[in-house]
Amino acid sequence: MIAKQLHFEKIYHEYKTLVFNLALNYLQNLEDAEEITQDVFVKVYHFLQNFNQKSSLKTWIYRITINQCLDCIKHKNSQKRFFIFGKKSQNEQEYLNTPSFEHPGILMEKQEDAQILFEVINTLTENQKTAFLLSKLDGMSNPEIADIMQLSISSVESLLFRAKNTLKEKLATKFEINRKKK
Amino acid sequence: MEHNNRIENILNSTIGMTQVIPSEDLFLKIQQRILYSTVVPIKTVWLVAASITILIIINLSISASRPIDKTSSSAAYLELTINKSNQLYQ
Repeated sequence: MIAKQLHFEKIYHEYKTLVFNLALNYLQNLEDAEEITQDVFVKVYHFLQNFNQKSSLKTWIYRITINQCLDCIKHKNSQKRFFIFGKKSQNEQEYLNTPSFEHPGILMEKQEDAQILFEVINTLTENQKTAFLLSKLDGMSNPEIADIMQLSISSVESLLFRAKNTLKEKLATKFEINRKKK
Repeated sequence: MEHNNRIENILNSTIGMTQVIPSEDLFLKIQQRILYSTVVPIKTVWLVAASITILIIINLSISASRPIDKTSSSAAYLELTINKSNQLYQ
């Protein structure tokens, strides 16, 4: 029991920042990121003995974190719907429509641009968003992302390519609309 | 051109981003949750599921193997209706 506790504590200190930052990038909310970090480590504690060493511990923890974030977004979106008159959300945009979010890890002079970036990232599909965040913000390589997302490397490359193109298109459209308004 | 530069700036706005450290008391909160959370072992879940499946199979096999006695059931029905219709002086 004590050995299990010590092992868990070691895992927590090794991966806490990774889990917290991934959740923060995904949800763009400090309280939610903290909540997700708690959920992830409670799961890790309970299911550590069932963890089969097919993938690395880091990959396993990444997968749990991503799934928890997606569940959190779905849960919040379903809460937002009004009884039977509410429309079911098609993407994460409904819940994650938080343009005022200031990421504490981003430089002050880049905050405004980062807010726009996060706003547009939230309009991507789940897989595109996951691949983009892992690549761009976590600095992971394509094989590592492929391992976490259980996809082929070529699929990850394709997801990243489409994500970047979509972001560029959406940003261009956004600026065009703003220009016309002026 | 100006638009392209602006887009590139936005896409590169996360460069130099630092990692955010979670609060110190987070580990205590996790420990509290572990202490008060109960997890049903997978073995138990499988045992319950297997028991329910066996019960359903037994029920189905018994009901399928029992022959339907048409003569006795029709006689019983006739007896019941006659008894009911003869109760004129209650």
